[in-house]
Amino acid sequence: MFSELSAQNDSSSLLCPPGPEDQGPVFERVSLAYRPCPERYKVGERSFSRQYAHIYAARLMQMRPLLTVRAQEKWGPDVLIRKLCDLQTGEQCCIVGTLFKRMDLQPSILKEISEEHNLLPQPVRAKYISESDELILEDELQRIKLEGNIDRDKCVTGSVVAIYGAERNDGKFTVEDICIADLPPQTARPKLSSDKFMLLASGLGLGSSHADSILGLQLLTDMVTGQLGDQGEQSGAAKISRVLLAGNLLSQSTQDKDASTKAKYLTKKTQAGSVDAIRLLDELLLQLVISVHVDVMPGQYDPTNYTLPQQPLHHCMFPLSSVYPTLQLTSNPYQANIDGVRFLGTSGQNVCDIQRYSSMESHLEILEETLRLRHLAPTAPDTLGCYPFYQKDPFILEECPHVYFSGNAPAFESKLVKGADGQEVLLVTVPEFSSTQTVCLVNLRTLECEQVTFSAFSADYNESEMNISH
Amino acid sequence: MTTKHRLITDSFKVVKKARKGGKREKRSAPPPPPQKEAEDEAVREDLQKLRQFDLDWKFGPCTGISRLQRWERAKVHGLNPPEDIRELLLKTHTDPEYTLSIWSQYPL
Repeated sequence: MFSELSAQNDSSSLLCPPGPEDQGPVFERVSLAYRPCPERYKVGERSFSRQYAHIYAARLMQMRPLLTVRAQEKWGPDVLIRKLCDLQTGEQCCIVGTLFKRMDLQPSILKEISEEHNLLPQPVRAKYISESDELILEDELQRIKLEGNIDRDKCVTGSVVAIYGAERNDGKFTVEDICIADLPPQTARPKLSSDKFMLLASGLGLGSSHADSILGLQLLTDMVTGQLGDQGEQSGAAKISRVLLAGNLLSQSTQDKDASTKAKYLTKKTQAGSVDAIRLLDELLLQLVISVHVDVMPGQYDPTNYTLPQQPLHHCMFPLSSVYPTLQLTSNPYQANIDGVRFLGTSGQNVCDIQRYSSMESHLEILEETLRLRHLAPTAPDTLGCYPFYQKDPFILEECPHVYFSGNAPAFESKLVKGADGQEVLLVTVPEFSSTQTVCLVNLRTLECEQVTFSAFSADYNESEMNISH
Repeated sequence: MTTKHRLITDSFKVVKKARKGGKREKRSAPPPPPQKEAEDEAVREDLQKLRQFDLDWKFGPCTGISRLQRWERAKVHGLNPPEDIRELLLKTHTDPEYTLSIWSQYPL
């Protein structure tokens, strides 16, 4: 673990008189092989003339063979697999299809227009599930309502599953059992000879009105660049071979919507809130990239496209740091092969969206569920913005990652998941830095994960300080 | 107030009449040779085949993408789309009547 590693030397080096400048020990930063996989989440031509039917069709086409195999493993090789159009009432069979959850509370633009005369605003809610939700299974041609042994609130629209049961006389399908695609196959991870760490952070929240995370951020950069602590800690910091910033580098408050609602003459001289924040980010990145490789993913509030997959931030926004080859601007579903360890993750939009539309609360639980559904973002394109792909659904996991993460979680959580075929996946929810001042370190050799907190003050101290200032 | 100068064509639409001479010529033209008729028949058959391909639900929705794109998607997902459709599409890749699906005239 990182904490043991950096505490192995006793801290006497701080208590001795300073030696001559050039005689201090030099800790070489460990390097590693990095192979990005940017093609998968790159959107070349941008045509929005298509409907989203294609993405669901492609998803079902891709998942159907996988689920057929899984269903035969689970319910025996001679299980009857039917399409909905061939379904006979009362016959026990298995159906592969896409789930759709009809939800009364789901915000809908059509509802808003039709109720315009009554001016009924749809309230913003934390959760959109209700007792009246209905679960529907769709295949290429038809749909059928589901009942029985299926957890309605936990399921989300867009996940492809296989169900086993029978159709009743009233046209509803009684589910007896459900089968999901489960973990994809994994290539084995090479054995590393020494400890190497990857630092994951997200939700820096620059440009917010209360700059409470700035001190923590500075401590973080000083720690990573080895300007903090004694020789033990510095040698530990040299083991951090890569830093990944997983989205929401800017705070939500930089996205002021004033410009679109206020009169032009009132906002003529004002600068977009994100300009200063990006400049701050550039300076922060500069401190990091002169000493370590940094990957920067965009997030929900960052200045790039909104729909998934989010394309890399433009390098022109970082005039200081983009001259260094150590800065990597990456797409939002992030995929890279780091010393043979496959990383895959998002800035957290997919997880937050599922949290709103299902009964699942914990980000870690949702992350595991998406891994088992073999789909990064099942709710795209229903409730999550998504590019209208037609040929393939790039969010289907074809190969199992070794580290699967999501950013902007309320708290740090991690878990090692073991699959039936010997797959080993480390799930990490990277906490939002601006509220928790916490980052996590993944050991690439052992796949252990640990959090590091840079909180300058305890929470209650912050509160009392706030009280004084008001 | 200024009066607007309006053109006479604003009230009376210009209608171009087809030349009488041309029409008469067409009418008196001999019926197309049998060879051309057979060609027309072949074209009609080809288009019919492509329309049947569009209406085959196994290969997914057909709106918004070209027939070749749809064929290639079906191929990628191992759905065995008919090979002669691809050959036909590659042969006639410039004509929108061949390349686009039957619903391409309809707005989204």
